[in-house]
Amino acid sequence: MNYDKLFDLAKQKGIEDLQVYYSSGTDFDVEVFKGNLEKYTIADTARLSVKGIYNGKMGKVSTEVINEEVFEFLVDSVIQSAKAIDSEDEVFIYEGDKEYKKLDYLHNNSLDEVSAADKIADVHKLEELVLAQDKRITMVQAFYGDNASKVLIKNSKGLDLAKEVNGAMLGAFIIASDGKDQRTTYEYKLTNDYHDFDLEQMAKEGAERVLSQLGSEPVESGKYEILLKNNASCSLLAPHISMFSAESVQKDVSLLKGKVGQTIGSDLITLVDDPFMPKSQRSGAFDDEGVATQHKELISAGTLTGFMHNLKTAKKDNVKSTGNGFNRGITPTNLYFENGDTAYEDAVKSMKKGLIITSLDGTHAGTSAISGDFSLQASGFLVENGEIVKPVALITVAGNYLTLLKDVTAVCDDLKFNYSFVGSPSLLIKSLQVSGI
Amino acid sequence: MLDKQLIKKVLDKALATAGDFAEVFIEDKFQTDAAMLSSKVESVNNTKTFGVGIRIGQGYHRVYGYTNRSDEASLLQLAEDLSASFPGDPVGIAFELGEPVVGTEHQAKIDPATVPIEDKVALLYRADKAARAYTEEINQVNVRYQDYTQHVWIANSEGTYVKDTRTRTRLAIGAVAANEETKQTGFYGPGGAYGFEFYSDIINVEEAAQEAARIAKTMLYADECPSGKMPVVIDNGFGGVIFHEAVGHSLEATSVARGASVFTGRKGEVIANPLVSAVDDGTIPHAWGSANFDDEGNPQAKRQLIKDGVLTSYMIDKLNAKRMNDSCTNSGRRESYRYAPTSRMTNTFIENGESTFEEIIAATEYGLYAKKMGGGSVNPATGDFNFSVNEGYMIRDGKIAEPVRGASLVGTGSQALLKVDMVGNNLAREQGMCGSVSGSIPADVGQPTIRVSEITVGGRGGKQ
Repeated sequence: MNYDKLFDLAKQKGIEDLQVYYSSGTDFDVEVFKGNLEKYTIADTARLSVKGIYNGKMGKVSTEVINEEVFEFLVDSVIQSAKAIDSEDEVFIYEGDKEYKKLDYLHNNSLDEVSAADKIADVHKLEELVLAQDKRITMVQAFYGDNASKVLIKNSKGLDLAKEVNGAMLGAFIIASDGKDQRTTYEYKLTNDYHDFDLEQMAKEGAERVLSQLGSEPVESGKYEILLKNNASCSLLAPHISMFSAESVQKDVSLLKGKVGQTIGSDLITLVDDPFMPKSQRSGAFDDEGVATQHKELISAGTLTGFMHNLKTAKKDNVKSTGNGFNRGITPTNLYFENGDTAYEDAVKSMKKGLIITSLDGTHAGTSAISGDFSLQASGFLVENGEIVKPVALITVAGNYLTLLKDVTAVCDDLKFNYSFVGSPSLLIKSLQVSGI
Repeated sequence: MLDKQLIKKVLDKALATAGDFAEVFIEDKFQTDAAMLSSKVESVNNTKTFGVGIRIGQGYHRVYGYTNRSDEASLLQLAEDLSASFPGDPVGIAFELGEPVVGTEHQAKIDPATVPIEDKVALLYRADKAARAYTEEINQVNVRYQDYTQHVWIANSEGTYVKDTRTRTRLAIGAVAANEETKQTGFYGPGGAYGFEFYSDIINVEEAAQEAARIAKTMLYADECPSGKMPVVIDNGFGGVIFHEAVGHSLEATSVARGASVFTGRKGEVIANPLVSAVDDGTIPHAWGSANFDDEGNPQAKRQLIKDGVLTSYMIDKLNAKRMNDSCTNSGRRESYRYAPTSRMTNTFIENGESTFEEIIAATEYGLYAKKMGGGSVNPATGDFNFSVNEGYMIRDGKIAEPVRGASLVGTGSQALLKVDMVGNNLAREQGMCGSVSGSIPADVGQPTIRVSEITVGGRGGKQ
C-alpha cells in the first residue's frame, strides 16, 4: 500500500499530520470434545486505523476495506471526526524515539514449524490425559489457538516502525462431578514457544484442582483471614488497573490521585509493568503511538511511584510518556506484583482460621475502579490451624481494593499470569468480609 | 458486494470434498462511536467493517474460516483450505440460489449514515447537561453514543439466501456522584433496533441521563448492605439479567447439547415455580435483540422457554438441532463474520404475573429490594451466579427503607427459579450486550418485579 499517497491527500485537505496503524494477522483455533474436533477456525484478517490532526484535534477512523479507493473516505472521516471534537487536550503525532529496544524473541518460529495436524493431535491427547486422571472427571473440552500478527506504524513525520508477534494458548475446560456436586476449572498455558506445553503436567494439575473442589459448600458469614491464590489475585487486580492510568487521574476518577510518593500498600508489595517479558503477546519495544516502551515500577515496596502515561496525558503533567499509549487507551503491557519470599505452603500453615480463595467470579460487574469497593462470588478452601478442612463455594467476599493492598501480610513466591498478561503471586490478607450462610 | 454467482461458486468449492453443508456469511457494517467526558467530546470514530465467513459441515462437525478479502481467488482458496478437513468424494448436493429474501421488519426510519455528526454529538451535550443538572453531587459524567448499520447476506447449500439490514443505536450514560467520603456511580443505557428516530420518537435523552444521575446520588447516601440469606425483591427491567445469565445461558443448545447444562434432558419437567413463564422473542418490533433473520439465515422466532414452571423449549441452532435430535429454533447468532454462529438469546424475559409491585413489597417483612441490577456472571455447568446490585434498599415491615450499596446476589439458577414466589404485572425490558462463544451481541433482558424467597446477599455491612 502506498501510504505516501494517503499522506499527500491528507495534507491537501488541510490535515497537519497523519498516522496509519496497520495490523494484519492469521488465526488458528481448534477445540476437541469427546474425541471429536468440535471447532476448527482459520482466519486471515487486516485492519487499517488512521488518525490525523486537523485544527488541533485528533480525528480517527478505521477500516477493513483496505485499498487506495478508500483513502478519500479515510481522510474525510478524520476531518469530520476532528471537527466534532471539542476536548482541548493537546494531541500528538510522534516523530519517534532515538532508540528502540531490539526484541527478536516476539515471534517464535516453533509455532509455524509444528503442523496443524500435530497441534490437533496434542489437543486430542490433552483431552484423553485429563479424562484418564479420575473417573469423576465427566467432561473435558480441550482447546488450542495461535495467532501471528504484523503491525506497521507510519506517519507523515517520518516514523516507520514494524513488529511481528505470535502467541499460542493450549488448555482445557474441565468438569468434575461426584454425583451430588459439580465443579469446573480452566487449565491453560500461554506462550509463543510450542515446546513449553507439558500435556501431562497440565492434565494432572487441572484434574487435581477441580477434584479438590468437589463437595464445596458455603461457610458461615463473617470476617476471615484470606489467602488470595495467585490466579484469583490476578482476577482482582485486572479491573483495578485503570487506577494507575494518568488519564483516570486527570479525569478525577482514580482513587490514587495526588498519592504519588505516598504509601498505598503494604511494603511487601511491588507492582511492575514489563514490556520486555519473553513469550508474551503484550510485549513490544514501542506502544501504539510509536513511543519506546520502558520497564517500570508503579508501586515500589508499598509506595506509589507514578502513573502510566501516553503522549497526551504526559504533556498535561509535563512528563515523558511511559510508553503505555495503546489503541484501546492507556494500558499496561505485562503488569504484575513481584514475587515475595513466602512459600505458598507456609502461608497456608500460618493461618489459624481463614479461607484460601482460589477463584473469583463476576469481576467485570462486582468491582469498581472508581470506589475500589468489590463484592464478588468466590470459591476456595476453609483452613483451620494451618490445615485445609474443606472446599468452599457460593460465598461472596467483599472489601476495598486499596484497603486490601494495605492489609497484605505476606507475598508468596508463586507468580502466575492470566490470559491477559496480568500477574500476581498469592497474597495473604489480614481479613475480608465473607458472606455465606 | 459479492454477486450470486460468486457465492454459488464458493459454496460449490466448499462441497468439493466430503462436506454435506456449506454456508457463506457476508457482512458489511458501518459504525459511528462518539464519547464525551468532562463535558467535552473526546472522540468520534467511524469504523468500516467488511468480511466473509465460510462454514463447511459434515455430520456433527463444522469448520469455519473468515477473511477481509472479497476477491474470487482468496475466497475460493479459503473454501478449499477448509474443505481439506473433510477428505473424500463430494456428496453431490445440488442446489440453486434464487434472489435473496430481504428482511423488511425493524428497519430504520432515519438512516444514521445520513445524519450529520453534529446532530449525534448534540445528544452527548444534552445528556451531559441533564445529568449534571440533576444534583450538584454529580462531579463526572461520561456519555457514549453508538450507531451501526450491519448488512448481512447469508447463503447456504440448502438454498437459503437472505439479506438482512440491522440498524441499531444506543446512548449510554454513566454518572459519578461524590462527597467527602466516597464516589458512587450510576448507569443507564437505552438502545434499540432503530435509526436516529430513536432519539426523537422513542426515548427522552434528558430523562435517561437523569436516571443515571439519580442512581449515583442515591448510592452516595447508602449504607453498606448487610450480608446473609434473605428474601430479595428484584425489580423489573434490568433485573431480568439474573434470569438471562443464570437460566437463559443454561437453556442455550451450546451448553445443553454437550450435557454441560443443569437443564439437559429436562424438557417437560418442572424447573421453576408455577408462577414463572418465560420467553425468548427475536421478533419484537425494533427491540435491541430483534432481527428479521438469525445469523444462519432462518426467520427470527418467539420461543416459549418456560410455561407455568415447566421447561418447554431450549434455544437451538441448526448444528445443535442435529446433535440433540430436536428442532432448530432459529437461534443461531454471531457478533460478526469473525464468529461461527451458535445458539444465543435475543430478547429474553420472564412474562407478567398477577401481583402488583406494591403487593410484593407489602408482603415482604424483611429483605433486600434490588431496584437496579448491575452485571454478573454464571457458570453454565453449575448454574452458580453472581450479580452486583447497582441500586438497592432494605425492606423493613413491608416498606422500602434505607438505600444500601455494595450488595451482590449469589445463588444457583435452578434453585432460584424454584424459589420465585411472587411475580409482578409490570414487565419491562432493558438493553445489554451479551458475551459468549460467538461474540458480543445485543440482547434485551427483562421481567416484571419478582420476589425470590431466599438468596445469599453479599455485602460489607455485616450480619443483621
